[in-house]
Amino acid sequence: MDAKRFDAPPSAWGRAAGVVALAIATAAGCVGDIGGGDGRMGGGGSKKPAFVPAAPTIHRLSQVQLTNSWRALFGASLVPPPASALPSDDQLYGFTSISAATRTISPLDAEQYETATYGVLEQVWAEPAWRESVVGCAPTVSDGPCVANYFASFGRRAFRRPLEVEELARFVALSAEVATSTGELWEGLRFGTAAVLQSPHFLFRIESGESAPGDDAAHAGLLRFTSYEMASRLSFLLTDAPPSDTLLDAAASGELVDPMRVRSYAEALLHTPEARDTLVRFFRDFMSIGRLDQLDKSVDLFPQFTATLGPSMRTELEKLFLDTAFEKVGDFRQLFTTNRTFVNEELANIYGIAGVVGPDFVPVTLPDDGRRAGLLTTPGFLALNAHKTATSPTHRGRFVRISLLCEDVAPPPPGVDTTIPEPDPDKPTTLRERLEAHRESDQCRSCHMLMDPIGFGLEHFDALGQWRETDNGLPVDVASDLDGEPFEGGVELGQLVAELPSLGACVARRFYQHATAHLDKFGDQAAVDALVAAFVASDYDFKKLVIELVVNDGFRYASVPEVGP
Amino acid sequence: MTRSRFGRRMMLRGLFGGATLGIGLPIFECLLDDHGRRFAHGEELPTRFGLWFFGNGVRLDSWLPTTEGSDWQVPADAELAPLAPVKEYVSVVSGLSVKTPRHPHHSGMAAICSGGPHLKIDDVRDTIVSTFKYPSVDQIAADHFQATTPAPYRSLEVAITRFRGTDEGTTFQYLSHNGSKAGETNVNPSEESPQAFFERLFGMGTAEPLVRKARASVLDAVGDQIEALEKKLGNRDKARLDQHLESVRDLEKRLNSPAAECLKPSAPGEFPDVGGNEQMAEKNAVMSDLMVLALACQMTHAFSVMFSTCGSGAIMWPAGATDGQHYMNHTEPAPWTKQHESMKFTMAQLAYFVGKLKDTPEGDSNLLERCAIQACTEHAEGWTHLQDDMPVLLIGKGGGRLKGNVHFRGAGGNASRALMTALRGAGLPLTEFGYEEGKVSNPITELLNV
Repeated sequence: MDAKRFDAPPSAWGRAAGVVALAIATAAGCVGDIGGGDGRMGGGGSKKPAFVPAAPTIHRLSQVQLTNSWRALFGASLVPPPASALPSDDQLYGFTSISAATRTISPLDAEQYETATYGVLEQVWAEPAWRESVVGCAPTVSDGPCVANYFASFGRRAFRRPLEVEELARFVALSAEVATSTGELWEGLRFGTAAVLQSPHFLFRIESGESAPGDDAAHAGLLRFTSYEMASRLSFLLTDAPPSDTLLDAAASGELVDPMRVRSYAEALLHTPEARDTLVRFFRDFMSIGRLDQLDKSVDLFPQFTATLGPSMRTELEKLFLDTAFEKVGDFRQLFTTNRTFVNEELANIYGIAGVVGPDFVPVTLPDDGRRAGLLTTPGFLALNAHKTATSPTHRGRFVRISLLCEDVAPPPPGVDTTIPEPDPDKPTTLRERLEAHRESDQCRSCHMLMDPIGFGLEHFDALGQWRETDNGLPVDVASDLDGEPFEGGVELGQLVAELPSLGACVARRFYQHATAHLDKFGDQAAVDALVAAFVASDYDFKKLVIELVVNDGFRYASVPEVGP
Repeated sequence: MTRSRFGRRMMLRGLFGGATLGIGLPIFECLLDDHGRRFAHGEELPTRFGLWFFGNGVRLDSWLPTTEGSDWQVPADAELAPLAPVKEYVSVVSGLSVKTPRHPHHSGMAAICSGGPHLKIDDVRDTIVSTFKYPSVDQIAADHFQATTPAPYRSLEVAITRFRGTDEGTTFQYLSHNGSKAGETNVNPSEESPQAFFERLFGMGTAEPLVRKARASVLDAVGDQIEALEKKLGNRDKARLDQHLESVRDLEKRLNSPAAECLKPSAPGEFPDVGGNEQMAEKNAVMSDLMVLALACQMTHAFSVMFSTCGSGAIMWPAGATDGQHYMNHTEPAPWTKQHESMKFTMAQLAYFVGKLKDTPEGDSNLLERCAIQACTEHAEGWTHLQDDMPVLLIGKGGGRLKGNVHFRGAGGNASRALMTALRGAGLPLTEFGYEEGKVSNPITELLNV
């Protein structure tokens, strides 16, 4: 292993792009650097662009965030509507957060929000003690102080900021109007509350920023997120839930424009169990492993495949993430090299580990047989990036390039016949041999040579992630190379990938994209470079990455948005 | 309104495959003139417009009819053969091309469903993520209908197969789009569960007038908040809130207007996999039944059915496939037998829906007479990502505007011509249609009566 490369200074942008540029000198136009990948960025040593963060945006609450918000308002005993009855979460560029920053609310969504809102309120209003604890007083007149105080305090928690005078007046008036027409004060409150819960200020996190103060020369002309906005940014990033009363009080005092205070609140939040669940959701998006819940394999070829196996594979990966990021103190890149993992019975069968019984997960140390270590040899990664019946060296390689190294691989050009040769029954060949067709075609070679060789190294694992010695009756060949660096098999591939500077840089960058809800662009480079440098300086401690992110300029500042025609 | 004075509910027996099922007969015969073609007050019976989509293209050699012009013919094993029983209502368009900048799947999808280019979101890499830059045609029709013959639902969307795309943006996950003014993603998600679709249309019952009024007041307040907020935001967020406002106003309007009267069909229940296989045909049948009912009751005049997504990975097991269709397209060698069988199966599903429309009486004829449906896919052939010779079907008579039973074969013209023709078939008075390289002003007159 090249120890120098491992420890070299962290100018991640130039590094990642430089390594690639060298390796693919013949593949011009195929690979780019995801995010800033227009060629302006790589090359090492080029002049740093000015810091121009993204414009502020509004973020639609995800299903989890919406459910947690209702629970924060009404208590943990609330039974939230099922996910299938709520507007769907999508992913863009892998992340739910990026989709939440671009999606609108369609007519169907609005209908689902309305139905869900009344479903929630029906539960609470059906129990007089419950609704009284929410409202905090018993109304006697439709527009008295009880009603006004309720909407002021409920509204502050729902909107994550104090209500404006007109907003408060409208909720009180609406409540009074319905109380009058129905003759029921509680009905007035119910419908007034429904208006709060269908408001864009509740369904979205609204961010518009404020001018950075005049004495902040480094951020002149930019917006900074307000103290209240920072409270929500922190809280939703780390717990997928609205800010607590404590955090809202901190917001009210204006503390949260101070990075030192942001850091200290973030450290406290990071210790909560909710933070773990929430960062697992980041990891799920980062690795696309939410799709394991719909894993579909041929039961003819894999009789051991069941509907629960895919979710078990996802759980294993999530436990590996938690173990690496939260339990072990140290290098996050161990995720790609560790010989420890977590299995239940059906996963143990895939691994060929005896003695694990039942659906619960237990920690295990993988046998020292050189077959498996780290994420790239987990059944979850291997099965997800394969087809229903066959492996896909291309997909496995593509995932490593795009998702782990933040490189770009172009799709096949239009008009190219992408059919790979079928095996000839009289002349058996391995899939690797058939994929060599990619090497023979000029149109295919430049991109496939980035992907296929990585996957060739994993051909000991079938479409379900089980060890195999042969493919189509012939011994598999797992000797391959990554950008010219030779390796043999999945364990060596994991070592090699872990030590690439672009891997560590990519983890930091993907977290930046997730947290800021946009793909980093040219203007983000300085902020991302700083984050990558901090991650490297912490010896790749994931918790430190999280803390560095919340005080990073890219998380605290925004550009003035485009307004007008 | 005089119409609501009549007891409009009538039992119609045997309409659904011989089963006894009560359905609403929303256009009650005594409301119509002697010929059954108009309401008694002279207004034409409404046309419905639909988009029916399936992913990954066809196998051209067995898709294309062997004859051109009227009364197209196909061999018994052809992919269009399942549509033979309704072919009087089906015109085939071939030989037209995607003219917008090409990209596998993305450009074909956007061009054939919207008449414009796809929009890369955050244009920073080649592995693209896209949405529609312009609205899909079902929404163009919905705009027209809401302005001329408003219905409770602006449009209704359903999806049949389960596969929901790789991470390549809304183009790969949704069919109905509202277009993107400033980089936002603005889709109309499809109902995926027959039971949920049923409950949405028929399950709620009619709320008390006081409750409806209170709900409408709530939405009115919400709408005002959206409007106030828009003033403080940048262009992209403003565009997103424009849609939110429209969605809320839509819902409010529905609460303020009398509920559509349809007799409730029985609950369809869920369709879990059987032996590891998706119940595609069963789900298609019940979704089709519900959609036909919604159209007959005029709950909406615009709809879309996404049989499978752009680039779909649905496993077409009824056609003998064992892997996802997209992967199958890229691995199956010539002569692409499984793809051929998959297309025959897919067209049989379309034929079921079209047959139901035809079997639903309306006025002096049937519901299919007053439908204009565009059925399409994003490629001509999946394995080469071909976007020439795009396969399109125009189905229904559009209230007499569409001829039906014609095979029109263009010579490489713009695929938007098919979309424009479909919309003209639904009565939209378009003199041009499409966007950027997809813009055309010449509908396929060979398929139109007007």
